[in-house]
Amino acid sequence: MDVSAFLVTQSLNALSQAALLFFLGCGLTLIFGIMRIVNFAHGAFFMLGAYVGWSAVGLTGSFWAALLFAPILVGGFGAAFEMGLLRRLYGRDGHAFLMVTFGLTLIMGEAIRLIWGVNALQVEIPKLLSGIVFILDEPFPIYRLFLAGAGIVVAIGIWQFLERTRLGLLIRATSQNAEMVHALGTDVRLVRSAVFGIGCGLAGIGGVLAAPMVTASLGMAPNAVIDTFVIVIIGGMGSFLGSMIGAVLVAFVQVFGSYFFPDFAMSFMYLIMATILVFRPGGLLGKEA
Amino acid sequence: MRMLLAVALLLALLPFGLPPYAMTLLTEALIMGLFAMSLDLMVGYARLISFGHAAAYGLGAYTCGNILLHTDIPLPFAVLLAGLFSGIVAIGVAWVCTQATGVSFSMLTLAFAQLLYAVAFKWTPVTGASDGLAGIPRSPGPFGVTWFATKSGFYYLTMACLIGGFLFARALVRSPFGAVLRGIRENEAKTLSLGYNTRLYKIAVVAASYMLGGLAGALYAPFAGFANTELLFWLLSGQVLIMVIVGGTGTLVGPILGAVFFLFVQQQLSTYTDSWALFFGVIFIGFVLFAPEGILGLARRWTRAH
Repeated sequence: MDVSAFLVTQSLNALSQAALLFFLGCGLTLIFGIMRIVNFAHGAFFMLGAYVGWSAVGLTGSFWAALLFAPILVGGFGAAFEMGLLRRLYGRDGHAFLMVTFGLTLIMGEAIRLIWGVNALQVEIPKLLSGIVFILDEPFPIYRLFLAGAGIVVAIGIWQFLERTRLGLLIRATSQNAEMVHALGTDVRLVRSAVFGIGCGLAGIGGVLAAPMVTASLGMAPNAVIDTFVIVIIGGMGSFLGSMIGAVLVAFVQVFGSYFFPDFAMSFMYLIMATILVFRPGGLLGKEA
Repeated sequence: MRMLLAVALLLALLPFGLPPYAMTLLTEALIMGLFAMSLDLMVGYARLISFGHAAAYGLGAYTCGNILLHTDIPLPFAVLLAGLFSGIVAIGVAWVCTQATGVSFSMLTLAFAQLLYAVAFKWTPVTGASDGLAGIPRSPGPFGVTWFATKSGFYYLTMACLIGGFLFARALVRSPFGAVLRGIRENEAKTLSLGYNTRLYKIAVVAASYMLGGLAGALYAPFAGFANTELLFWLLSGQVLIMVIVGGTGTLVGPILGAVFFLFVQQQLSTYTDSWALFFGVIFIGFVLFAPEGILGLARRWTRAH
């Protein structure tokens, strides 16, 4: 394998990984930006996305239908949880959210085990995306290319949504000064519910997309939530662009690190995070903490 | 003080009335109690919400395991040494982590714990990688005394560590040092402007907290006979934080009760159902919604009402 082919395929590999991390990270950071809470259950929503996606593929026979319905369902559940429980806790300190979302993680993990069983569930790659292409004479799975592309499309989509739409404007305003937005006649509580739902829905998209690659399994949530925290912290809590940079950085470190230094790949990610936080306590693009 | 003596007496008498199986559970509860209490020093008194306290536990457990496996140092000394080592490492950790405050501090402590977790997975000669350290003995001594290796002997060793740790922690929070910590908790900027180098105080309390947490981990290694990477995993950090909060922060006693409650409920539920985690989650959420002051706060409210 020559060097350029290796670099290109591994970079594409890292980008597809970054896309999955980004779906998780941008949801978490949006939620933090608006509510100042760390959603511990984010990994559980990701996992729920994968399982619901599996069922939706089974029911409709179409991966694309699953990709549409599963995130809506997961996001809806997230919004309902926010309205039913989290809403009672605004004004309390961060402890409360941490504990409630940790409790929710336990509940969701167990509920998923009861509903779908303990075995890992395989989701078929849709026909259109199965198979491989040759990039500089190196074989590369089409599905990974699709993931990288989907990550870029969604990133642009969310960015435009935040910049150009009325709801996006309200979200940005609420993250800067919620009281003022409320005083100007917008029900901030609805904005919060919407953002929580959108964030969870994004994690759900990530879950559906990840399922064909890693299978839907009960170990998904803990692995996902810790990676997500790392990228959001590297990028800066509450920063959308930061979560993108964090996802790409972590994915490249994971892919190239595990190729060159398989023994240290895991440590690298945390070392980078610690180093960045020492020099910029708020993360790369975050406000000074 | 009278209360403390009564509790100590009760704990000392328990082995005479309990079956061996309950003794094992009780010993584990006391170890967890010590662990949760150590975290309360940070969380309850200086509002340093550590999300990586498993680091202290794992450090203590692996250190103690290695001492017992490779040297002839008697069990009680090995446990104390491991706790001390954990406290010394904490000075470096705290120096880095206290660069940040708030959520960033929590996440830095998490990053450090995960770093240790990743290292433990790969450093086979010291940690046994994914297999962990197995067959950790309860070394005899000092002076050839083998009593600590017995079930009840080990229980009393654990009890002594818990009571000793509690007295140390209580003395710490009641001292002028503790007053500065409470100042940091309520208003760090003001404390700083009064001339206290708050960062040094924070580093000191993290070190004390890690030392006691390491002591708990050091007890766990010979208690279970093994140490594995689970002891450094973030799930444990989350669980111990919940024990502290469910018990009642800033009370020292509360987190011990929280740990006992946690283990007891886990034990009871797991005998009835496989899905104990489900009920667990519901109980936690119930606590946050209806009893945010924790078990101890609930008990105080109840006694005041009657």
